[in-house]
Amino acid sequence: MLRSIFLDALKNLSGNALRSGLTMLGVIIGVAAVITMIAIVEGGQVWLVNSLERMGTNLLFVWKKRLTVEERQLFAGRNTELRYDDALAIQTRFPDLVVAPILELDGQLKAGDRDYSGRITGTSPEYSQIRNFRPESGQFVSSIDIKEWNRSVVLGHTIAEVLFGSQSAIGEGVKIGDQRFTVKGIMEPKGEIYGHDYDEMVIIPISTGLRFFQGSDKIRSMIIHVPDRQRMDEISQALHQFLVQRHEGVDDIHIRNQGEFLSAVDQTLLTFRLVLGGIAVIALLVGGIGIMNIMLVTVTERTREIGLRKAIGARRQDILLQFLIESTTISVIGGAIGIFVGILAAYGIGDIVARAMPGGGDWGAVVQPTAIAIAFAFAVVVGVGFGLFPAMKASKLEPAEALRYQ
Amino acid sequence: MLIDLNHIFKIYQAGHVEVPALINITLQINKGEFVAIIGQSGSGKTTLLDIIGCLSRPTNGEYWLDGDLVNTLPDSRLTGIRNKKIGFIFQTFHLLPRKTALENVQLPLMYAGASRTVQHDIAQTLLTKVGLQDRLRHYSNQLSGGQQQRVAIARALANSPALLLADEPTGNLDSQSGKDILALFEQLHRHGQTIVMITHDPLIAQQAERRVTLADGRVVADEYMHQSLPVPG
Repeated sequence: MLRSIFLDALKNLSGNALRSGLTMLGVIIGVAAVITMIAIVEGGQVWLVNSLERMGTNLLFVWKKRLTVEERQLFAGRNTELRYDDALAIQTRFPDLVVAPILELDGQLKAGDRDYSGRITGTSPEYSQIRNFRPESGQFVSSIDIKEWNRSVVLGHTIAEVLFGSQSAIGEGVKIGDQRFTVKGIMEPKGEIYGHDYDEMVIIPISTGLRFFQGSDKIRSMIIHVPDRQRMDEISQALHQFLVQRHEGVDDIHIRNQGEFLSAVDQTLLTFRLVLGGIAVIALLVGGIGIMNIMLVTVTERTREIGLRKAIGARRQDILLQFLIESTTISVIGGAIGIFVGILAAYGIGDIVARAMPGGGDWGAVVQPTAIAIAFAFAVVVGVGFGLFPAMKASKLEPAEALRYQ
Repeated sequence: MLIDLNHIFKIYQAGHVEVPALINITLQINKGEFVAIIGQSGSGKTTLLDIIGCLSRPTNGEYWLDGDLVNTLPDSRLTGIRNKKIGFIFQTFHLLPRKTALENVQLPLMYAGASRTVQHDIAQTLLTKVGLQDRLRHYSNQLSGGQQQRVAIARALANSPALLLADEPTGNLDSQSGKDILALFEQLHRHGQTIVMITHDPLIAQQAERRVTLADGRVVADEYMHQSLPVPG
């Protein structure tokens, strides 16, 4: 009997192919929307984690706070700068941390008849290690370079191409300002991360930069790697205290935990997820209401059929089952097509985002089986749920009334 | 006794107004009788058919069908009674579209829980009996009115019901098809089938051996003909 009722339902659906198709469309769009949106947000998450890993992990960023005019007057004469000495002192005081001081200068590079104007970064060997950014050929700045104020320069991938084209730059001379430097290494291509193009970096030993260009020991910032992730907050506080003490009690230091940064981005992603998820759920609900609408029309249209079926012996549950099977079939088939469309759309949109977003080259949608399962299950629940009301309505009709319904 | 109606009332509620459709109907019908219920439109004959057919419940009174006091039974039992004890024939046939003659006749058997082979065999036998052996796989819209009504009769007989209930069975047919259908009823009656037929046409009512006349919701006449007349025309 179940088989007959099921075949009956299929016949009714195919007899009204256009209507069934349009109803299904609602479910298809709903399911596809859920899958696509989850895949894109998930893709964003993966991309974010990857790019953070490319930037290095467990990092603390130390900056000098900008002081107000009053504060500057108040603290006049006190030691309120972030200095190279601070970095060395931290390294001595906290030997298990890895400290990379950073100096930034604007300058002009010349090699033969080619030149390049831009930012020059002075740092120490630790930078390469904790930023997970290594030379493709030659070597990075070494501790000997630091000690001996060597005029060696390591070029970003793009800069090397700008200045030397395809020929090898290692050992070649470059003029920075009026100082002669030797190219010591070329960095691996890394691309852009959060608006910073690593391929356009020009790196020199920090000591050389301080001595020949800066004329003082003020540095711009420090990046500090903490080996134990659990101790990030604790170390951040200890460093803050240590630096304030060194700055004669002036709190002019900002320390940003990479984790905080990550959680800020996470928060943004969560918001995205909620908004997009909400839209997707609404799409699915609208699809469900479409099912209910059509089933109500079907029930009304077929009131006399229901009356006849009851007259010749259909029980309430037989009628209920018949209409439930119809709505469930719509949502199951619609859900299956929706999965297919959703996966296609996710990869399509992922591709567009990867092209459109700066540094999004490795961006891609991540279609998760759980997302598929959730979307499909939800579609079926919506189908059954919204099919139930019209089915109940149909099954409760008094046969005499239903038979003579006009 | 197959049908025993005692002081049956049926009152419809139209807004705040009560409209009595049946007033104090008491009527007994024995097994094997061929009864015509006759009356003008609005006389309550359709309402009476609904109650006899367990399609609706009386507002008041007792209705015994084949030993069961059906007006107190729950819906689920009434469904079973309609399925097994009553065969319905309607003026508008009420065949399901997009189904073949065979499938339409199988329907009551399906709801009775018969296996597919049993459903098929019984439906084929019955369709042969009503003369449609070469129309088994025709869809209802491919059949003439008379043929559709024959399918409906075969469907009504599917579970060998104690009672055949017909509501203006010839109302939508041309006179020749109508005559054929009445001849079929006559043949079934001769084989002992109890038939209750509703009609507004006195000529058709003459086919029956007993004639119950309704007017304004009451039984106004209940006559036995000694012998049913030949099919008119």
